[in-house]
Amino acid sequence: MKKKVDTNKIEISFSLNGEKKTMLIKSSMILLDLIRDEIGLTGTKTGCNEGECGACTVLINDVAVNSCLFPAINIQGKNVTTIEGISDGVKLDPVQEALIEKGGVQCGFCTSGMVMTIKGMQTKFKKGKHKPTTEEIKKGLEGNLCRCTGYVKIVEAAEKVIHGHS
Amino acid sequence: MNFDITTPTTKTELLKAIKSTKNFRFGAGYTDLLMEFKKNPPKDLTVINLAQLNDKHFSSITKTKTQIRIGAMVTASEIISDKFIHDKFPVLHHAANNLASTQIRNVATIGGNLCTASPSGDVACALMALNATCEILSTTNKIRKVNTKDFFIGVRKTVLKKNEILQSITIPLNQKGKIHSGFIKIGTRLSMECSVISLAYHFIFDNKQKIISAGIGIGSSAPTIRFTQTACDYVNGKKLAEIDRDKFAKEILTYASPISDIRGSAWYRKEVLYNISKNIFGKL
Repeated sequence: MKKKVDTNKIEISFSLNGEKKTMLIKSSMILLDLIRDEIGLTGTKTGCNEGECGACTVLINDVAVNSCLFPAINIQGKNVTTIEGISDGVKLDPVQEALIEKGGVQCGFCTSGMVMTIKGMQTKFKKGKHKPTTEEIKKGLEGNLCRCTGYVKIVEAAEKVIHGHS
Repeated sequence: MNFDITTPTTKTELLKAIKSTKNFRFGAGYTDLLMEFKKNPPKDLTVINLAQLNDKHFSSITKTKTQIRIGAMVTASEIISDKFIHDKFPVLHHAANNLASTQIRNVATIGGNLCTASPSGDVACALMALNATCEILSTTNKIRKVNTKDFFIGVRKTVLKKNEILQSITIPLNQKGKIHSGFIKIGTRLSMECSVISLAYHFIFDNKQKIISAGIGIGSSAPTIRFTQTACDYVNGKKLAEIDRDKFAKEILTYASPISDIRGSAWYRKEVLYNISKNIFGKL
């Protein structure tokens, strides 16, 4: 059982964007607050804060989750990827390239969440032999809201990355 | 929001935590629990965190000749990607696949869906149609079995006692035949929706086209999800041509006592339930 170090504080070790970290956190801390307020990575957005909009999406062991509904202590031993870890800082990730090329970015508030969800889908479908249909891609994006684009361009970008054609 | 948390990693630690903690809630996928805490911050509460529990009874899907066992910590996404469930229990596959969104499905657990005991629980409704049984572990390390039909006793209330935890669910695999199985969810939109009405059905036909097994669960239509026993009895042993579909749908309706709320009126819910019930067999 995890030992409590201080009342209400717990030590966790995890990897964030490829970098190993050990932190002492409040036991009831939410992952989104850890990422934004404690670590200072503000690319992950706070939208609805109730798992509806997907702006806070991050990858945990390559799987997309809503960080607003995820207890921070459960990243113990896991790999967390945020939007800041998706590219090397010089060259953009193909998901980001595709969103720009297809015009899938307008105000940009949903974009980091969209990128993470598409990235999660890309990894998932790379593992299996199944090529997803457009409907399946849309279903994969149902947890991400965008109030600007009307989704068509975002779906096109996702298709481009996942199917590997334009 | 403030709460204490204890994270057992083995079954022994888990049972000890249940025994020694006074005021606690279980945390599995947290998609419902944290929402609840955000609305009503808990006071003097300990969360028994199940997410790091390393016990295959809780976390795996196993099959034998007579049944399939699904651990309470298995996520909706794991159910969706299980080929056996997809082929043998389409109703469960559909229900899991219609739950909320990708991000939620990746963490939400089957045990959480049951123990939350929402009248609109999708996965729970499908499990009831499949005649699934809950395997409940107590702090004395004994297992008590309760059929999903008897698991719910009210809105957000189950038969679970203070010293018990849902460990796994079993679904019987005792009958062979042609399967007609699915999950119908009526909502006000297609994604991220809490259903206005839902219906889970699972029928098995023998080689003479006679129904040899029938299971129908309805959701969002009563304080709990309900198993429509008399409707199942009515179609059991019959061929499709022998079923009066109006009578069948009305039999299902006898189990519905819906409320009017923001999603739909009681009248509307009943109308929809009647219509989808009548059409369960579609063009078969």
